[in-house]
Amino acid sequence: MHPPTTLEISSQVIPLMATLMLVVQLLLIAQRMLLTNIRLFAIQSLLLSGIAAVVAFNYNASHVYVVAVLTFIGKVVFLPWLLNRLVHRIQIHQDVEPLLNAPSSMLICAALTLLGYSVTRPFTSLEKLGNNTLAIALALLLTGFFLMINRRKALTQVLALLTVENGVMLAAVALTTYGMPLVVELGIFFDVMVAVMVLGILVYRIRENFDSMDTGKLDQLKG
Amino acid sequence: MLLLTPILLVPLSVALLCLLVPSRRVMAALGVLAFATTLGLGIALLHEVLARGVVREWSEFLSADALSAWMVLLISVVSLATSLYAGRYFERDMAAGVITMGRVREFFVLTPLFGTGMFLVVLANNLGVMWAAVEGTALSSVLLVALYNRRNSLEAAWKYVILGSLGLALALLGTVFVYAAACKSHPDSLPSFNWSYLMSVARQLDPLQLKLAFVFVFVGYGTKAGFAPMHTWLPDAHSEAPSPTSAMLSGVSLKIALYALLRFHILTTACLDGGPDAGFSGHLLLGFGLFSMLLAPSFILVQRNLKRMLAYSSLEHMGLICTGIALNSPLTIFGALLHMGYHALTKPVLFFAAGNIHQTFHSLEFRVIGPGVGKVLPVTVVLMGLAALSAVGLPPFGLFFSELTIISGGLAAHQITVSVVILVALLASFCGILQQLTRILLGARKPGDHPTDARRSDGVPAMTLLLGSLLLFSVWLPAPLLELMHQAAAIIGGKP
Amino acid sequence: MNLDPLNFLGQTLALLLLAPLLSGCIKNWKAKLQNRRGPRPWQVYFDIAKFLRKDMVISEHASWVFSFAPYVVFLTALLAGLMVPMINAPAPLRLFGGVLAVVGLLALGRFFLALGGLDPASAFGGMGSSREMTISAIAEPAMMLAIFTVAITAGSTDLSQIAQSTQSATWKLLNPAHVLAFAAMFVVLLAETGRIPVDNPATHLELTMIHEAMLLEYSGRYLAFMEWGASIKQLVLMTLLVNVFFPVGLAGPQASVAALGISLAAYLAKLLALSAVVVVVETTNAKMRLFRVPDLLSTAFVLAALALLSTFLFQ
Repeated sequence: MHPPTTLEISSQVIPLMATLMLVVQLLLIAQRMLLTNIRLFAIQSLLLSGIAAVVAFNYNASHVYVVAVLTFIGKVVFLPWLLNRLVHRIQIHQDVEPLLNAPSSMLICAALTLLGYSVTRPFTSLEKLGNNTLAIALALLLTGFFLMINRRKALTQVLALLTVENGVMLAAVALTTYGMPLVVELGIFFDVMVAVMVLGILVYRIRENFDSMDTGKLDQLKG
Repeated sequence: MLLLTPILLVPLSVALLCLLVPSRRVMAALGVLAFATTLGLGIALLHEVLARGVVREWSEFLSADALSAWMVLLISVVSLATSLYAGRYFERDMAAGVITMGRVREFFVLTPLFGTGMFLVVLANNLGVMWAAVEGTALSSVLLVALYNRRNSLEAAWKYVILGSLGLALALLGTVFVYAAACKSHPDSLPSFNWSYLMSVARQLDPLQLKLAFVFVFVGYGTKAGFAPMHTWLPDAHSEAPSPTSAMLSGVSLKIALYALLRFHILTTACLDGGPDAGFSGHLLLGFGLFSMLLAPSFILVQRNLKRMLAYSSLEHMGLICTGIALNSPLTIFGALLHMGYHALTKPVLFFAAGNIHQTFHSLEFRVIGPGVGKVLPVTVVLMGLAALSAVGLPPFGLFFSELTIISGGLAAHQITVSVVILVALLASFCGILQQLTRILLGARKPGDHPTDARRSDGVPAMTLLLGSLLLFSVWLPAPLLELMHQAAAIIGGKP
Repeated sequence: MNLDPLNFLGQTLALLLLAPLLSGCIKNWKAKLQNRRGPRPWQVYFDIAKFLRKDMVISEHASWVFSFAPYVVFLTALLAGLMVPMINAPAPLRLFGGVLAVVGLLALGRFFLALGGLDPASAFGGMGSSREMTISAIAEPAMMLAIFTVAITAGSTDLSQIAQSTQSATWKLLNPAHVLAFAAMFVVLLAETGRIPVDNPATHLELTMIHEAMLLEYSGRYLAFMEWGASIKQLVLMTLLVNVFFPVGLAGPQASVAALGISLAAYLAKLLALSAVVVVVETTNAKMRLFRVPDLLSTAFVLAALALLSTFLFQ
């Protein structure tokens, strides 16, 4: 038995962290407490940041470190803080019963993962670290869409959007060799932050106007 | 001399300035000034592009070819008209007490930001930056849609931002796929993400990957451009936004999303050219374009709300532009570009008029405002009628010529079925819009239902400016503009 | 047939003797963690011995199934245990079957356990049986999927071979398939041994009990065999978990006495560590409402399914 090299360990750790991201996503789908959901999102982002850091360490790519740090600051610290504050301000702590119950949503998500796997098969290779996590990235995207449909509280939908975003960022790590050019990463980071702030403003205003943030009540406009 | 940088910086600095300015009038004037400046710069850019081909700045970070220059002109014109109209519009809204000064300031800050975002979309060379800019336009416009803070406008804004962001997440994934294709063909370096670079290596990119990328990008930017069946946010956002914002959304914002899509369309076509799947992206565009065109008339016919009906008319026109480009003959692409321009001059007039009607009757429902709006708001109704005749494609207005160009181009390219479908859809929406509008605009008012405050002829400068230039350009297209559109059509058609 | 008599005898003894001790240890630790003194770890031996000596009261409605069930439960658990490698890698009965046989035997045992609960026609027994079957209907597929995941990685359904192949690639322990399958198996372990989020082994509260409800009509010798069988089943499942997923120190086919000694020590250490985790989970969690249990188990099922999927995903 030979002692494992850093690269070998990394090639185990990255899929593991990616899979854990998916597991966290499943927990998000099963969980209805908003504060727990926010914490789960933070954990998922932490894993994403970790993956970026491992890739950066292995390829010694400095700007991927920047991505890891930005993800950490933005999605692990700042956004959860912002959303927590929002939850306390609007005083709604729990989502209503989702459209589908937990076991059947889980099965649907497993099926979506399978779909992600079959779509990304031709683009998956082992040439580079993390390339094989593309299927997980697509699964995060699809399950994020499912989460969006399955929930009715505006804030959960914001979280769903953010997990979709996490999926896309994981795809960026999975697909490219050294991540994307820094200016693009910065642009995306900035956009996500602003997007959550704008969504937060809207959630607050919806809560004020409807005495609820149930998006099921947003059904006046038709045709 | 720098040209592209000021186009971005002028509206941006005006937006920042509007945060500090105390008076509403000054803010409105600043808006007009900003977009008049960009219009001037846009005309200078037109000549520069014609002289030099491609204008680049900041080591290719910004770059403008004929297509970008054309879009810059459209954005500037519509934004200028909007700023002209918005000053008086909000003055009346504040007098009626439906909006606070804070919200008005929000409008005058966000609108130039919205414009800056759109300018960045068309000027950015880097596809990732372009994505970020499109997302920026969505974010700045969503608060504009929610400006009135009424239940319906919040609902519309929520649908807009959620659908838009989901779509844009898909577009980002597609963008990442494209970049990954570039990385794969040059594994050792961090390749440039510039559109011009990707075009130069288009033939070396993995076709399968690019096809998948285009599907994602299509669904993504297609949502933002309002193609059916991803259009569900469009009528809501257009009807609930304040009328100046509706004009900008319909007049240019949709076309900006289409522009982003076109960049990928050009790239994919260049990559797949000659292969078994040549025209893959074109087929997608054609399918969704025709579907949008066929879907719109039926919704126009059943609408009971003025601005929603106008929104569906925009869906129709977007479908036509998309179809024209998808037919991929020089004539149809030229027709589509022309259509973009004329539509940008027409649709804001309709929305401005709808804004006047809304402020007079405090509703947009047909049963409340009609019939006989003409008795109450004669000037508005005359201008609106002219614009409506233009929108349904009657001569002597330009949209008639551009539609004719697309159809005859389609026939010349032996796309008989498509051309017939276009004609049928256009006729259907023609009947729909005219029937609906005659019902509310003409005729006598119901007895006892006569708003006292009937001297409104506001917004006339903006509307006459647009209608006047529409008429002017319908009969006479300046040679440089014609040349620019030919070059832009050549870029889209893949023959640079 | 290569049936090493010493191995056979040793493992049988180990299963019979170690199982009650492990149950006792868990009970004792749980009490300690809750600031109670608790029964001594070897109390379970005394209990079993006492039950064996006592007379039985059998309901007059009970048929032969009632008296047959305890032996089946006991023997199936023991046989399954002989197919799992405990201290050295070729398990004594490996030639009679691998993973499938183990799962099948445990299922057979459960089937008779449920029948035994139903047979005397008491209301509690029937309730317990129906609950047991509801839970196992989800837990069992999850267990199958989790074990298949490791089987696919090892390329065999023979447990001894699985353990050896996992042993030869120790650093692959971080493999997502491995980690997820372990997590799924752990939840299944909690469900199958009637541990706290699913069932409470220490209560006879009619609203919640599952396993105890089925045993309610049993007494004397039958009860002794039922309890003993249950503790052996627990030991088997825990052995499966520690030796298939962490086969560190497991002795090979022709191991020396010293190697066997090390293997025994490693095995006991791993077993105690796992028990400690179970104790912590039991103490820190509240029992779930019965209708929420399928949520937990379906999570285990999805974890196992993901584990299986990820063996293909990350090739």
